[in-house]
Amino acid sequence: MTPPHPHHPEPAADPRARLRRAIEHLDHVLPGQAPILNFVHHNTLHGFQHLPFETALEEAEKVTGIHAFWPEETFRRHFAAGRIAADELEAALDARAELDPDESLAMAGDTPITRREVLRISLLHGLEALTPAQLIWRIEEEGALRHVHPGVTQEPRTGRTSSPLPELWAACLDLFGLGEFRLHPEELLDLSQTQAETLSLRSRDGAATGVNQAMREHALARVEKDAADIGQGLSLGEWLRRLTGRDTLATVRPLLIRLGAAHLDEGLAAWNPPERDRGLWASFRALAARDANWLLAELPGAHETLAALPEDPLDAILAALERLGIPDLRREGYLARIALEIPGWSGQFNWRHHQPRYAANREAPADLADWLALRLTVDGLWLSELCRKTWALDARLDTLAAYFRANPCEYLARAAYHAGELPEYLATFARRLLADTHLQRASLESWRGLADLIWTWQHSTETGRGAHDGAWRIFVLAQHLGLSAADVQALGSTQGGRLLEVLDELSPTQRGMIWLSAYENHYRDAVFAALRENRGRGRWATRAARPEAQVIFCMDDREEAIRRHLEEHNPRIETLGAAGFFGVAMNWRGLDDAEVTPLCPVVVAPAHEVREIPRPGAEQTRLIHDRRRSLSGALNRLFHQEIRRNLFTSHLLIDALAPLVAPLLGLRTFLPLALERFARRIGERFTPAVPTQLALTAADDGKPATPEAPRLGLTDHEQADRVAGFLRNTGLTDGFAPLVVLAGHGSISRNNPHLAAYDCGACSGRHGGPNARAFAAMANRPEIRELLAQRGISIPPDTWFLGSEHNTCDEEILWYDLADLPASHRPAHAKLVVELDHARRWSAHERCRRLASAPRRPGLKQALRHIVGRAADFSQARPELGHATNAFAVVGRRSVTQGAFFDRRVFLISYDPTQDPDGKIVEGILLNVGPVGAGINLEYYFSTVNNERFGCGSKTPHNVTGLFGVMEGASSDLRTGLPRQMAEIHEAMRLQLVVEQTDEVLGAIYRRQPAIQELVGNAWLHLSAIHPETGELSVFAPGTGFVPWHGKPHTLREVEKSPDWYAGHSEPLPPVLIRQPDLLLTRDTSSPPLEKGGRGDFSGDPTRQGLKIPPNPPLRKGGTGDVLYA
Amino acid sequence: MPEILVALIPALPFLAALLIGGGAVTGWLDGERCEKTTGRIALGAAAISFFLALALLYLRSTNQIPEQMELGTWLTSGAYRIALNFRADAPGLALSLVGSYFSLLVARFSVNYMHREPGYHRFFALLSLFGGAMNLLALGGNATLTFMGWEIAGLCSYLLIAYAYDRDTASRNATRVFVTNRLGDAGFVLGIVLSFVWLGGIDWPVILDHAAHLTPVQATVVAGCFLLAAAAKSAQGPFAPWIARALEGPTPSSAFSYGAVMVHAGVFLLLRLEPLFEQSPPAMALLAALGLFTALYGFLCGLVQTDVKSALMFSTLGQVGLMFLACGLGWWTLATWHMAAHAVLRGYQFLSAPSLMHQTLGRRTRPVAPALAGQRALYAAALQRFWLEPFLDWLLVRPVQNLSRDLEAFDERAVNRLVGLPSPAVRALSSLAQWEEQRLGALQRAQHVGSAPGLFGRSTQTAAALLHVFEERWILHGVSHGWIGPGRRLGHLLNRLEQRLAQPRYAFTLVIILLLAAT
Repeated sequence: MTPPHPHHPEPAADPRARLRRAIEHLDHVLPGQAPILNFVHHNTLHGFQHLPFETALEEAEKVTGIHAFWPEETFRRHFAAGRIAADELEAALDARAELDPDESLAMAGDTPITRREVLRISLLHGLEALTPAQLIWRIEEEGALRHVHPGVTQEPRTGRTSSPLPELWAACLDLFGLGEFRLHPEELLDLSQTQAETLSLRSRDGAATGVNQAMREHALARVEKDAADIGQGLSLGEWLRRLTGRDTLATVRPLLIRLGAAHLDEGLAAWNPPERDRGLWASFRALAARDANWLLAELPGAHETLAALPEDPLDAILAALERLGIPDLRREGYLARIALEIPGWSGQFNWRHHQPRYAANREAPADLADWLALRLTVDGLWLSELCRKTWALDARLDTLAAYFRANPCEYLARAAYHAGELPEYLATFARRLLADTHLQRASLESWRGLADLIWTWQHSTETGRGAHDGAWRIFVLAQHLGLSAADVQALGSTQGGRLLEVLDELSPTQRGMIWLSAYENHYRDAVFAALRENRGRGRWATRAARPEAQVIFCMDDREEAIRRHLEEHNPRIETLGAAGFFGVAMNWRGLDDAEVTPLCPVVVAPAHEVREIPRPGAEQTRLIHDRRRSLSGALNRLFHQEIRRNLFTSHLLIDALAPLVAPLLGLRTFLPLALERFARRIGERFTPAVPTQLALTAADDGKPATPEAPRLGLTDHEQADRVAGFLRNTGLTDGFAPLVVLAGHGSISRNNPHLAAYDCGACSGRHGGPNARAFAAMANRPEIRELLAQRGISIPPDTWFLGSEHNTCDEEILWYDLADLPASHRPAHAKLVVELDHARRWSAHERCRRLASAPRRPGLKQALRHIVGRAADFSQARPELGHATNAFAVVGRRSVTQGAFFDRRVFLISYDPTQDPDGKIVEGILLNVGPVGAGINLEYYFSTVNNERFGCGSKTPHNVTGLFGVMEGASSDLRTGLPRQMAEIHEAMRLQLVVEQTDEVLGAIYRRQPAIQELVGNAWLHLSAIHPETGELSVFAPGTGFVPWHGKPHTLREVEKSPDWYAGHSEPLPPVLIRQPDLLLTRDTSSPPLEKGGRGDFSGDPTRQGLKIPPNPPLRKGGTGDVLYA
Repeated sequence: MPEILVALIPALPFLAALLIGGGAVTGWLDGERCEKTTGRIALGAAAISFFLALALLYLRSTNQIPEQMELGTWLTSGAYRIALNFRADAPGLALSLVGSYFSLLVARFSVNYMHREPGYHRFFALLSLFGGAMNLLALGGNATLTFMGWEIAGLCSYLLIAYAYDRDTASRNATRVFVTNRLGDAGFVLGIVLSFVWLGGIDWPVILDHAAHLTPVQATVVAGCFLLAAAAKSAQGPFAPWIARALEGPTPSSAFSYGAVMVHAGVFLLLRLEPLFEQSPPAMALLAALGLFTALYGFLCGLVQTDVKSALMFSTLGQVGLMFLACGLGWWTLATWHMAAHAVLRGYQFLSAPSLMHQTLGRRTRPVAPALAGQRALYAAALQRFWLEPFLDWLLVRPVQNLSRDLEAFDERAVNRLVGLPSPAVRALSSLAQWEEQRLGALQRAQHVGSAPGLFGRSTQTAAALLHVFEERWILHGVSHGWIGPGRRLGHLLNRLEQRLAQPRYAFTLVIILLLAAT
């Protein structure tokens, strides 16, 4: 394993200390996912984040074997759909300075063939080498010699005519000296004299004296190579699987998972393992002697090994590694290898290991060393049984390597057979020989005979640059280049070889990068063009006229639509965006909560606790509420736990409850929404809601609050700090509307283990409503207003703050503390409620377009009903689509983005550069938003490009485990990452972070902040600047700095309302301008100086006349033909 | 008329399965755009079938139709006749109603849940087939029809467990489940044969009415056969481990097959055969013992399960064990009610399993009593599921595997040669190395001395070749190594034979052979 981290442990004398450090080091390669209830998006490759993106993905692929780009077919599909243009692909190729794209590789007649041409063809059409069987298929079934290769557009090069394909094919074969090529290797059953001679010559690499000798040398080299790979790319178990076909891991895994899961369980099992509080290893030691598995599996040496288990897991690891004969230097790599064979479970142990304060650790401390010790010990038992049975040898690396050095033929034959690469006639032979091994009858000679046959077969088909490799690729390339047979002949083997080399020149990572950059740039240019066009159109650059209301949403990309619709509906409302904890990091304890929940970004440890308490006079209701709640809680426990847990009482319960449950189940399935509403009504009746308020304010005792000694409530000064800080961050320091609403968000759905992944990332995967509520309560206090005025923020006395929560799943909006709303504000609030209701209907409407099971072109009512019904439906695997398609983030005034349609793909963070000349504020925002945005975006990226390995696959077979994760079925690895249902329509690209600030300020921040250097300098996210005054866009290029962006001239259409643009479309849509109403409040007074030519002057441009555009305009929209919706 | 109505209950889902399956094979139903059609077909069939089952219940309870209904003859051969008939008794109605209810619910559930899954159409075809099979099983008027339903349901369960057949664990587990269930089928088939011989027919009324005339031994044997079938299907006693392996399929299919419906088929069989079992106290005792054992097994293992589906599964085992116990004690009505009630409730729990952690948020399962918590050996046993599976592997599976391998080798080496089956072409194949050795003149191999036609010619040729070999191998190489090697090899061979015969499986086989010869 290549150490992915610079802090490489130094060699130390004490093997235990070294081992411990190696184990700590695994944190960089294991999945870092928290228990699923606290799901927080993070960079899947967080351990590689110190490396540049491209290098990191390459390193990760080396360690984990996972290619972290979309497959090229996906990119090609996007290319065909117009989501990547030919010139963009070429630009991405040219951007790689090391390639020298103009180099002439060969001459076709008088025209040179450049590297760019060859690489472009290879990217667009693949041109991978085929296997012999594929070549047969292509030629015989697909008629590759009769039909031109699909996608060939190239005319024959000037002055030449194209040749018939068979002629071209013959020329290509000739190029590689394959005159007497045979398509079918079976024709080789009996070698003719000439065939044998050719083959014999070809298979000898010069040095060896005979064929048999050459084969032996080859086999020996393979033994050495594979043996050296143990602890790098291979574990002993995997090696033996390749040689015997028996997968010991498949046997061992369920046993390990049983023990590991029993240890980590957070409340599902009623009965926990003994000695659990002393760790998994202690618990295993207590159970091992009582376990009959070893006996029944007839494991040799099991008794001795288990009787002498050392007390310390580190000693156990050392002893096990010793037993397996893993050399000292490779131990670290070996640990990583076996940990990565069960990455999810190893990762969970690792996560708990690194979170000592995690509540479940109190009962069951988790240490990765325990898990590894268990794994190695149990592994060792089965490996030794396998080796004893097969070769009567110990399962030791050195012993096995020595044996194979003495028996290279057996090695070669076994490896070839179990890799499944042998044709039937050889496989039969091999199978018989393997059966004989069992009877100890196979002799050295028969292995040798088989190995010879395999060698012959291999060399009849795989002669270096053979037909399926060399000739085929040149054949296809020639068609794309428009070469004739004569041209190919003229190439000669040198130039032909050169072309092949160039085809292979790009590593898979480089190819992925080229495609990805082209794909990202295509979308970036569309967005930038929209930002440029929108310049001077957006409202609220300043607040010369007082807005009617201000609504502050979370920065979440899902809120873009509701904001847009709200503003389209009432242009006098201003919307803002900010991280959804609204600057109030707190431990929250709701009325019914037994414990506190931290509501803040996951990196922050709150120092304050805020409680929800009954309002004065509600004590009686509280009593009833509590009594009824504990009753319904008991019923809930009865149904969900006791019926499952017990035997005889369950019998009675089941018999009694079934008549009730049967119709309920029917309703839940067929009328989920009706049942949901009914149940809610009953629930409200039964458990009366208690009017509550927040216990928010604490007396100042002069001591600072810390996470270790949290304060109950916040002092006046602490409150003022938070309110002022937040208002400054968002630039809301003047022009306060009469109503300022803070809208936190969360997501509620029925049957969804990954629920937390849909919640607010800025609140550690919880709901942000309480933060909004707390903020509003603080900002309404006269004491705080006074303190704020002293700090230069004067909030008019007629401004009222209100907290609320937006449910992104069913679009419901919940209001807090309406009882405190002054009567004077009630009409304004009532009006706002109606307007928000309108906006959420449109938001639901817009969401429907991307949901396959939603009605096409629904009415407003119908759309909302569908969205609400979806959230209530327990059969729905896609209650909402989460952050799918998130692609960029804008930090700046709403005027930058307001007026354009961004398809719910943009994080919007309010920030006013005019109030922040030195960049202090934006520095703080970037430090917060950068990691949060990149975390969400990168998790989606990786879960999309390889959902099977980086994500957790389809939800359908998921099985909730230990209340902290999901498995597939009952004994699989713990699945981490996002389920396919969340990521399937995502467009995998890195986040484009656009900041409304000057290059200089941003450059200075970049130089100051290592965290930003890591993210931006390593290209995990792209940073761009939009100049606050000129509106010029520039892109940060790592190593170069900001480079001005000059996109192609691009005139965007303007539509009346966003539905005019999206209605009837289910594919991703590029940005478009939305007509700004004439009653613009801010245009005359507050628009920053416009560029010459007057972009603000709408009169000259007929497309901006606000003409009603037909609902489905006959325009070219990007990405049509690629219907990616859920 | 009522016969047709009953026949439609299983027939409609079968028809739906045929339509969807056929559509998927011919490409008529393909991909995402056809999901709606598939869903409608499955849902429509399940809905009608459910309402017909309701109608049946009504007609039966108001006594408007008889318990046993005949539609026609399926096949006859001499005295041997299988009718196409149906039976609507209490257990049959209960199972049919629950089965078609869940068919309907699960189909509706899966329309959303399975959306965009690669095997969408396959899944719905199997679901419909399974629904039809359960109804046929429940309503079949003779043992053969019930057995057909029984088998189709088993096949569907195999295919549903292996739904994600590209996952190793899924396909391996499916195969294991399938094979285990076939043991029970053997019992069923034997039960049918014995019924035919001893009771004079396989129609359920015949079996049930004539059961009273059986001798106690006969009754015990027949009941034992059916008990074997029921125990395997409902995962009782030694068959318990299979069900824990059956959780690899998508959530709705796990709910349908193992939570709600199929696991109760064994109980249903017992309920139907009540008069037969009543004739045999030993069978009843065995039934009760099996049930009690499984109930405790399921309960104890259930306490230590850490994943939702396994926990529900072991709990199911426990409850089904109680149903067996109730039958064994003669509390048939209780068992019938428990079966239907449990199916509904467990089905609900399985379908909502993905959200368990949100529903129980903050509340953990009630811990076991301290006295039990301290039992380490018992904990180890429960965690390892009482080693039932490794034990059976050790006792049965591995010896059988070894025996079969030895037999295969015997076939290959002795029988094939004796019979003269052609050996694989590989012997005729030459390798490069051989070719090279030949070229260098180093290949020592018996050469053909010459060739001659006819019998005489050929025997001369053979003799010459043999002499050539004799000369080369035994005389030219002489005492140096040629004599010693084969002698030693022969010795080794005899030694190994002796070792092998000393192994239990051969000793056991020999004993069986001797016994057979003696009788």
